[in-house]
Formats: sequence, structure tokens, C-alpha cells
Amino acid sequence: MRKVFAIGKTSVVRLMRDRLNLFFVFVLPTMLIVVIGVVFGSGITPRLGILSVGDGEFEMEIVEELMAVDVFETTLLTDRGEVVQAVERGELELGVVIPEAFDGTIAAGVAAEIEYLARPSGSGFEVQAIVQGIIDDQAARIRAGRFLVEEGLAPDLAAALAVVDAASVGVAEVEVELDSTSPMATVGAFDLGAAQNLVLFMFVTSLAASAALILSRKLGVSKRMLSTPTSATTVVAGETLGRFLVALTQGLFIAVVAALAFGVDWGYLPAALAVIVAFAAVGTGAAMLIGSTFSNDEQAGGIGTFLGLGLGALGGCMVPLEIFSPTMRQVAHVTPHAWALDAFSELIREDAGFGDILNELAVLVGFATVLILLAAWRFRRSITA
Amino acid sequence: MGDNSQPVPVLVCADLRRTFGDRVAVDGVGFHIERGETYGLLGPNGAGKTTSISIIAGLLERDAGSVSVSGQPVTTTTVEAKRAVGLVPQELAIYPDLTAAENLMFFGKLYGIGSNALAQRVDEVLEIVGLIDRRDDRTDEYSGGMKRRLNIGIGLLHSPELLILDEPTVGVDPQSRNAILTSVERLGADGMAVLYTTHYMEEAERLCDRVGIIDEGRIVAEGTRRELVALVGERDRVELAASGDLAAAATALRGLAGVDDATPGDGSIQVVVESASARLAEMLAAAVAAGATVTGVDIYEPDLEAVFLHLTGKALRD
Ligand SMILES: Nc1ncnc2c1ncn2[C@@H]1O[C@H](COP(=O)(O)OP(=O)(O)OP(=O)(O)O)[C@@H](O)[C@H]1O
Ligand SMILES: [Mg+2]
Repeated sequence: MRKVFAIGKTSVVRLMRDRLNLFFVFVLPTMLIVVIGVVFGSGITPRLGILSVGDGEFEMEIVEELMAVDVFETTLLTDRGEVVQAVERGELELGVVIPEAFDGTIAAGVAAEIEYLARPSGSGFEVQAIVQGIIDDQAARIRAGRFLVEEGLAPDLAAALAVVDAASVGVAEVEVELDSTSPMATVGAFDLGAAQNLVLFMFVTSLAASAALILSRKLGVSKRMLSTPTSATTVVAGETLGRFLVALTQGLFIAVVAALAFGVDWGYLPAALAVIVAFAAVGTGAAMLIGSTFSNDEQAGGIGTFLGLGLGALGGCMVPLEIFSPTMRQVAHVTPHAWALDAFSELIREDAGFGDILNELAVLVGFATVLILLAAWRFRRSITA
Repeated sequence: MGDNSQPVPVLVCADLRRTFGDRVAVDGVGFHIERGETYGLLGPNGAGKTTSISIIAGLLERDAGSVSVSGQPVTTTTVEAKRAVGLVPQELAIYPDLTAAENLMFFGKLYGIGSNALAQRVDEVLEIVGLIDRRDDRTDEYSGGMKRRLNIGIGLLHSPELLILDEPTVGVDPQSRNAILTSVERLGADGMAVLYTTHYMEEAERLCDRVGIIDEGRIVAEGTRRELVALVGERDRVELAASGDLAAAATALRGLAGVDDATPGDGSIQVVVESASARLAEMLAAAVAAGATVTGVDIYEPDLEAVFLHLTGKALRD
């Protein structure tokens, strides 16, 4: 353990002596998070544009409900070209296009497709997650009504819906409860934006540690460490520890900035902290695996950035996991990002405690352990093969 | 029960083999080093010195062979047995952005030296390698020779039973070089076992109790300087600076008893002869009689360079 600390300390001391390195590890990500925080944070109300040309009952219902959501600013438009242009210009975060004859289509018993327009880089996806929720509620109600019509329990859809609404008075109480949490859920979509960025950036910058390990190998000091009575696992654990502390500091810093400057609520703090700690260990473990596999630090830098962004996207850091298809959501959970985001989502949206995120934490710790052991094995091979 | 009267050699390695692809880098190397003994591996570039040493230090997988240090086997996964070894790699292995003292403290911890002893030991080592004045300077501000000295100092920190030095004087100015050689001599005299690789014949002659001559991955001869030189026989090389009919003089010299060979050159004749001093008068007379004018004589006793030439037909340095 003393050796692990000695190696970790040396790695931090050396990092601190390198101004440029400090800039890349602390200043740059902070600047980025602040810039993105301004976009994502509650400082700006996202704008939603609805294209609605009909005046049917169902269509009006959707429009009204969307207008009533106060986390975004909603505008009604009547021309599709106008919507497209506004989204392209960044005047709208999301355009919702309700197809012509929406009510007619539904009345005919056919599914009506609602179209979403968003720029890939904006916060449109977060807005979409909320809109989708509202539309899904309506779709469920209509499906229930149709069921009654088909079963001959109601003469037409309007009558059936009346029955559904009447029948769900009991359910409605539950729904009231649901409704009371739904502002939370909508706000949460934006708070999760901060979590998404935290996870994305912690991972990307943790991977920068891979270059440090490659340089140590190039310097011959890694080999020299293995010539002392020190195992490869100890060396890798030590190098991981040093960079882990750096990644952790960075993660905490981002979390604090998000909370203080943008009012992000991280939920139960000790649990949020645990997720950040576990995720920092995963990021640095991955860095060690890259650092002991590649022998060119620039090559590793490229791979690191590619992996950092790629896994981030797959893991739900850019587009929220909720709007992934169920299959993609499963695939997303090969990344540690998805698990960290699940944990944050429970903490932020559902006021969860430690007990509720134990699974996620265990998976993250498992990721970190496997990565570090693999890295230790690769590290020894890279020197002794 | 083992035989306790026989001390275990500090290093025993046997039949080491290692190939890289098709290239055989080490092909059956084996030797042993006793306590207080300095053993030299003398060989040209690419002979397999570093590869052998890396296997011995447990830093490189081997295809075959065995290594034990003070009776404990060493492999790439060994941890504890490495405490007995101090390795000074051929390439510098120090942190450029740390000071000499910080480098030493760091590796001292890895060698498991306790904190109290360590600070004192770091200063002792800095004293030994002559860097105490530069203790707190970053090593990227050091000269090449100073970096080399620190590189050696790290290997000495924990007073290992076996110190392995891989060409420690390459690219070092004569003054630093002499300082390095002197400290190695002192360590050997203090009872440390030293494994020293070099392609400088003079270093091997000066430092080593025994020398293994290595070429193309094999130890082609081993022994004390005297034993190795005896392989060439008791022959000296005599260089006669001369003018006149050198070819005729060389032929006449070859006819003399004890002369193995005489080759006319540009303004000189090279003669290989058994005990030159006893036959010098005879040789001069024969050369003069054959029509040469001798203006100078140099006698060279055989050295390891000659041994290497004799055994491999190659010069030690290219
Ligand atoms: N990692 C490696 N991959 C491929 N070939 C290698 C490797 N290491 C050494 N070799 C080859 O093995 C042979 C022996 O190399 P080694 O470094 O042991 O020689 P050396 O005696 O230390 O030479 P020098 O005096 O130049 O340091 C050389 O032909 C070298 O090219
Ligand atoms: Mg070498």
C-alpha cells in the first residue's frame, strides 16, 4: 500500500509541475462545462415550436398540455418550412410537427406519427423526452378507448373515452400523484443534462492519463519499477490512484460548479459522491488499459478521444437513454456511462438513497476492478514480453 | 540437509535462451557470480548483453533457462527476490521533472527502504555518485554524465547483494567515467557482487575479477584476464617501425624460432612472437640483415582485445 501511495503521489506531483497538462486536465474541461452548462442549464428556457394546422380534439389536447409545461417556452406555428428554418437557426430547440388530419387518423383507428425536428448538438433531445411523455399519456388513453370500442363496450371512440376517463377516477388520484411528480420529472430532464456532461467529461479527461503511463514506459522508469520488488499490479494501482485523484477532483469541481452556478440538484449528496468516485475509478482504469496497450501517446490520445466520445454517445451522454429503443438501451449498458447515468437519474429524479443505487455502484466498481487488473496484466506484458 | 559449508553464489544463471522472431538474441548463456566478485560480460553491440541482463533481472520472458539470486529463483512475476538486485539499465531511467533527491526517494520506497533510513541513505548515495551539491535540481537540468551517475545511484540505494550495471559509461566524459569506475571498484571491494557489461576492453580489464566474452548470444570464453589471455598463448605483438625492403625482412623474421607471423605494412612490420623481450635482439639482427632499417620498436602484451580477435576473428568495436 505504501508503494501504491508513493507511485500515486509521484504521478500527481509530476502532473502539477506541468502547466500545459494542468490546463488540459482542469481548465479546459471546466471552461467547456461552463459553456455547455450555459446552454443546458436552467439559465435559459428551451424553446419549443409546435406545428398544428388542425383543430381536432386530440390535437388541441396535446397543444394545450404542451403549452402548459412551463420549463419551456412554446410557440405555435402553422408552416412546416418555418419550423424547419427556426430549428436550423437555433431559434427553437425542438420542433414538434403534428401531422395534418391528426384527429381523423386517430378516429380511423390508425396510428398517427408525430415528427420531431432538432439539431443534433442542441438540447432538443431533452425537450423531446418530455414531449414524448405527454404524447405517450394521450396515446395510452386512446388505446384504452379503442379497446372498449373493439370489444363492443362503447359505441364510438368519444363515448369510450368518456368511459375511460370516468373509470380512471380512481386511477386519476394516482395520476394526480404522478402529475405532482411530473414537474420534477421535467426539471429532471435538464438536471440530467448536467449529469450527462459530468460523466462524458470525466471519462474523456480521465483517458488523458493514458499518455502519462505511456511516457513512463518510454522513459524506462516503468521497467525500472518492475526491477524493484514491486508487482505490476502495484505499479498500475499506483498510477491509477494518482490519476484517479485528479479525475475525482475534476468531477467534484464540475458537480459543484453545476450546483452553484446552474442550480443543479444532485439529489442525496453522499450517494452522488459515491457515483462520482466509482466513475472516476472506471475512467482511470480504462486509461491505464489504454496506456499499457499502446506505445505511442499520440495514438493513445486519438483512441482515447474517440472512445470517450463514442462510449459517451452510446452510453446516453448526448441523447438521453429514455428516448433510446429498448434494444439500444440494453446495448448502452455495456458502457459504464449508462450505469452512472442510471444512478444519477435515480438520485436526481426519484430522490433515491444509497440503497437504490447499490446495483449501479457495484457494476461501476466491477468495471474499475476488471479494467485495472487487465491493465496490470497488459502492463507487465508490455515490458517483459 | 544441504551442504552449508559451500556458500550459495549470489547469482547463478544457466542455459538462458531468448529469440525475437527469427533472431536468436541469447543462445545458452550461463555463469555464476560469487559474493564480492565483479563479473564482466564483454561483447560488441548486439552480442546479447542487455537481453541476458534483462532476463536475469526478471524483466524479460525467456524461452529457456534458469536464474537464481542468493538461491531464490527469479522470473518476470517474481517480486520478493528482486530485493536482492539493483539494476542500472543501459538507457537512463529517471524522471526528468523530478530532482535527484525526489527520484531517489521514490525508488527507495519501491525498494522498501523505511522512511527514516531512506532520507539518510539518499544523501549517502548522492555523496557516492558526487551529486550532493545538485540534490534539489531537476534532472532535466543535468549534464549527460550527471544523469548517468544518478542512474547508477538509484541501483545502489538499497545496498543490493547483486548490482547489475549495463554499459554504465557509454556517452560519458572521461572524468565522469573514471569516477564511475572508481565507485564500482569500491563497491566490489566492499563485498557487493557486480555484474558489469561493456564493450570496452579496458573497463573489463580494470574492474572485473572474471570476464565472460559474449558474441552472437553465446559466451565464447570465460575466466580471469590471465586465463583468457592464455587462450591466445604467451604471445606478444611487436611492431617494428622500419624502412627499406620490408617484404624481405618479414620473410626473414618468419624464419626465426618462436615467431608465429610477420606481416609487412606501411612503414612497419607486425610480428606475433612468443616472449618478445627474449627474442628482440635476434629479430632486429634478422631484419637488418635482410635489408631493412629499423627506427623503432613497440611491444604489446596480449589483451582482451586480442583474445576477442583470436576467438571470433572480429574486432570488439566496429
Ligand atoms: N525487443 C527486441 N525486439 C527485437 N529484437 C531485439 C529486441 N531486443 C534485442 N533484440 C536483438 O537481440 C540482439 C541482442 O541485443 P542486445 O540488446 O541484448 O545486445 P547488447 O549486447 O546489449 O548490445 P549493445 O552493446 O548495443 O547494447 C540484437 O540483435 C538485437 O537487435
Ligand atoms: Mg545493451
